Order: sequence, then structure tokens, then C-alpha cells
Amino acid sequence: MSNAQIEIQLIASLVAIACAIPGTFLVLRKMAMISDAISHSILPGIVVGFFITQDLNSPLLILLAALTGVITVVLVERIQKTGLVKEDTAIGLVFPALFSIGVIMIAKNANDVHLDVDAVLLGELAFAPFDRLFISGTDVGPKSLWIIGSILVITVGLLIAFFKELKVSTFDAGLAASLGFSPALIHYGLMTVSSVTTVGAFDAVGAILVVALMIAPAASAYLLTTDLKKMLGLAIVFGVLSAISGYWFAHWLDASIAGSITTMLGVLFLLVYLFAPSKGLIAVMYREKQQRIEVSLLTFLLHLKNHNEETERHVNHLNEHINWQKVRSKTVLDLALKNNMIVIDNKIVSLTEKGDEFTSQAIDYIITNEDAQIEDMKDDFFLFRG
Amino acid sequence: MKQKIAVKVDDLTVAYNYKPVLWDIDLEIPEGVLMAIVGPNGAGKSTLIKAILGILKPIAGSVSIYEKPYEKQRSLVAYVPQKGSVDWDFPTTALDVVMMGTYGSLGWIKRPGQKEKKAALEALEKVGMLPFKSRQISQLSGGQQQRIFLARALVQDASIYFMDEPFQGVDATTEIAIINILKELRKAGKTVIVVHHDLQTVPEYFDWVTFLNVKKIATGPVKDIFNDDNLTKTYGINYKVSIQE
Repeated sequence: MSNAQIEIQLIASLVAIACAIPGTFLVLRKMAMISDAISHSILPGIVVGFFITQDLNSPLLILLAALTGVITVVLVERIQKTGLVKEDTAIGLVFPALFSIGVIMIAKNANDVHLDVDAVLLGELAFAPFDRLFISGTDVGPKSLWIIGSILVITVGLLIAFFKELKVSTFDAGLAASLGFSPALIHYGLMTVSSVTTVGAFDAVGAILVVALMIAPAASAYLLTTDLKKMLGLAIVFGVLSAISGYWFAHWLDASIAGSITTMLGVLFLLVYLFAPSKGLIAVMYREKQQRIEVSLLTFLLHLKNHNEETERHVNHLNEHINWQKVRSKTVLDLALKNNMIVIDNKIVSLTEKGDEFTSQAIDYIITNEDAQIEDMKDDFFLFRG
Repeated sequence: MKQKIAVKVDDLTVAYNYKPVLWDIDLEIPEGVLMAIVGPNGAGKSTLIKAILGILKPIAGSVSIYEKPYEKQRSLVAYVPQKGSVDWDFPTTALDVVMMGTYGSLGWIKRPGQKEKKAALEALEKVGMLPFKSRQISQLSGGQQQRIFLARALVQDASIYFMDEPFQGVDATTEIAIINILKELRKAGKTVIVVHHDLQTVPEYFDWVTFLNVKKIATGPVKDIFNDDNLTKTYGINYKVSIQE
């Protein structure tokens, strides 16, 4: 690997981490679309900042552009508060307006501004190593690396300091307010961090990839864990994994790095969506199938419990009599036999003591919906896991 | 005997988009009562609690907790929001939600430690939820979620408890468990204020009641003012409840 290659992967990885942190909270706050709005509407901020500073990497430009991001959020909230349109509509109204102002500003000044719309949307990660930072004449590395590195340090610092506040205001804003943690302050803090991260990242990776890096890793992590800290950790791992694999995918295809990283993010989410152990599509389908079998089993056991006459308990009769709901009767009979709930004697089915007790408990649970007494059954039967 | 006033509300008016939902409320809640706030939907019951707790800004009036503004008395107050106001799919456990009750006394930045964890476990024990401490909150039943919220308020060890419909969507067993805890709180000298819907249970559960419908209709001891007259004034229809002696 050449130096430039390592630098590109390093920048992409740092961007991924810096995006995953605010992204996790945006996903939990159901504000994923806000990151899309911010990433587009900071464009006029960048252009104005560039007119003033003449330097795409100036901290002043980053702050100016981030301010546009926060203004976007305020505008969206203002429009939404009128009650005339819903939040998604408000987002759809605000960010194209701001973005188009930026596009016109670039077009009007195209000759003397080193900035074009393609770069804004897709970024120029491949060129990032060429723009270097010199401190008193010494080359200390690509400017983007320093910018995103500084933003990341600040983000991580804020996350560690205010983790508890972020958590409580995201979960229960009412409680946070009553405890004295202003949810508005935390909200705008998060919006500021998201905006700064977006501006810092998008010179390297472009407006679209920034959104993908904020949302996709967090959304994938959400399907895999029930712990906020683990969700943050997984989102970071997913972001970095996609950044590095995306880089090599692009290298192999000789295609856009930003596009390849986004593709990897999509592939990763798809895999998690399909194979996540409890929330994944396959797990859910398997669970539903098991539940169908268990419902049939219970219907069957209950029938046995309610009928003592041998005619009602004959195997052939059971086959016809009970509506097996898409489940083969043999599956149910086997399951009941395997669990020692029934005995079949001369084609007459009878409940065992265990089966009898199980049926009573299960029916009791379904009627009272009280969990406590069936805790030990939850491991064996999906039906009782709510 | 002159009782101390725990909560005092003066001329409180709250509006959403300039439409008042609470008009000129004056209210004094004596220390040590278990009080129900009753009124029809849209009467402003939750709004009243939220305005007292500073979650909503009133357009007029003031609130004091033991004669000082709420901001200075936060540590004396615990709040149980409506269960439906939060996303129960949030990635966290029952114990962690209860721990959130300790955040107020910790203040900004400081993290909860062993002391806070111990307090949270005790609160879980009190509401009978200790066996579920590590369970993800979406895996709890509605009644269990409500108990978790109650535990989170208990852990605050406050003097005044505000609860927004704690009996909503819970089964009878949980309702009894919750009311017993509330009665214990009152016995310990705490003041408990509950937004309540089931008029039938008011005389059995509470000793103080406030009738609210945008304006305050009446407030006082249940045995004195919980009558057909006030119910009719509040609900607008001819209301009859039989109070069993």
C-alpha cells in the first residue's frame, strides 16, 4: 500500500466514526432525514464561507456552514410548528431551497471559485491526499485528515461528557426536562455536532455519502443490539468496515470511492437485515412459523384435555376435526410426542401429566396475560415471548 | 391544624398556539395528600402537570414548590410521564431506565456509580421487578413498563410525586400494586398527584381531588367535594357516581 492509499483509508475511517456517533442518536430520535437536509443545505454556507476565507479548509468556513445546518433545523421546526404541514414536508421544503441557493451561487461565480456541484455531491476522497497541511514548512499530512480528526476528537469528548444527558433526553424528553437537563439545549447541541461533522466530512466524501455514513451503520447496529453503548460501538465498527472495504472495492473496480463505500454500507445493512439473530427477517419468519406450530399444538392439547371420549381422541378423528392452520398434523403430533406431552396407545391419544400441566399453564397465561408463572417456559416456546 | 402547602399554582394560563388550554388556574396542594386530577379529555390535566414541572412554559402565572420556584426545588420532585410518551424500542434495559431517576441528583456530566445502581435495584425490588432488571424494555408487558416508570420515580426519593395516568393500560394486579405503593408514599408523608381517569376508583384510592376542565372546577378532600354536582360541572353531563360507604 502506498502512503496515499493508507491516508485515504484513514480519512474514510475517521469520517465513518465521526458520522456514526451523531448518526446513532439521529436514528434513535427518528430524525434520519434531518441529516439529509443538513448535508444539502450547508452548501450556501460553504459558498459564502469560501467567498470570505478563500480556503475550503478554513475553520471559519466550517463554522459558517455548520451554522447553515442549524438554521435548517430551526426553519424546519418553525414551519412544522405552524401545524400547516408535517415534519417530512417541512424538511422537503427547506433543504432544496437552501441547496438551490448554493447551486446558483456556485454557477454565478464558477470562474473564480474552485468548487463544483459534482464534488459537493460525491466528494473527492481520491484527491484528499494531495491537499496537504504544512506547519512551518513541514508536511504533516492531508488537510482533510486533520480537519476530520479534530472534529472526531471534539465529538468523542462531547459524547463521553454528555452520554447520560443524551441518553435520557433521547429516551424521555419529558423526564429530562423535569430533571433540569434542557432537552432543547441537548437537541441543538446534537444538531450542531451533526452539522459540523457533515461540513468537515463532506469535502472528503460528499453530501450523499455523509448521510449514508450517519444512518446506515446506526440502522444496522440497531437491529443487532439492545444496549445503547453496544449500538454506538457496532455503528462505529460497521462504518469503518464499510469505509475500508469500500475503498478496496473501488480500487478493484476503478470506480468512485464514495460510491463504493455507500454500496458497502447498503450491502452490510442488507446482510444484517436478513440475518440479525432476533430482529432479522429470517429470524422473524422462523419465529412466526414456530408460533403457528405452537398454536396448533396448544389447540390440539386443549382438545385432548376437554374430551375424555375415545372417539374424540382417535388419531384419525383428530386429523379431520382440528383446523391445523397450515401446519401438518404430523409435525404437531411429533412435537407433542417429543416433549412427552401425549402418549398414543392403539391410535388413541391421551395427555400425559406433563402435557396436562402445560396446557393448564398455557391457557392460564393466555387468559390472564401474567408473565411471572411462565418465565421458565419462555426459553422453549416462542409463543410466550410476547 | 394548618397543613403546609407543597405545591402552589397562581393564575396559571397555558396556551398551545395562542389557544388557552388552561385558564387562570389557582391551586394549593397540601403536603401529604394523595390527590387525583380528574376531568374529560382535553381538560388540560397533563398540561397542568407539565406546566408545574416547567416542561411547558405558561403564558401567565407562576408555580411554587414549598414556596420556591420549581427550578430551585427539582430535587424534591419526581415525575412519571405517560407510558406512551416514550419509545419502548429504545435500546436499554429495565435497570438502566430506573437509573435515569438518579440523573437529576447527579447533575450534568457526572456519571452514575455503585450507589446509584444500588438505589435503582432497591426501587426495582419495591415494585416487584427485580427479576426483570436485565430485560430489554420492549420485552416487558404494559404493566411491567409502568412499574419500571414508578421505580424510576421512587429512586428519586422525592417529596412530591407527579404521575400522568399511571393506571393506563395496566392489568388489575398491577393497578393494585401501584396504588399500594402510592398509599405507602403518602404514609411516609409524601405528596402524590395523579392524573386519573377512572372516576369509580377515586374515593377508594385518593383522599384529595381536583376537578379540572380548562378552568379549575373544585379542589379539596374527596369526602367533601367528590359529588355529583362537581362531576356534572366538570364533565358537562349529568353524572352520577354512587359512593360506597
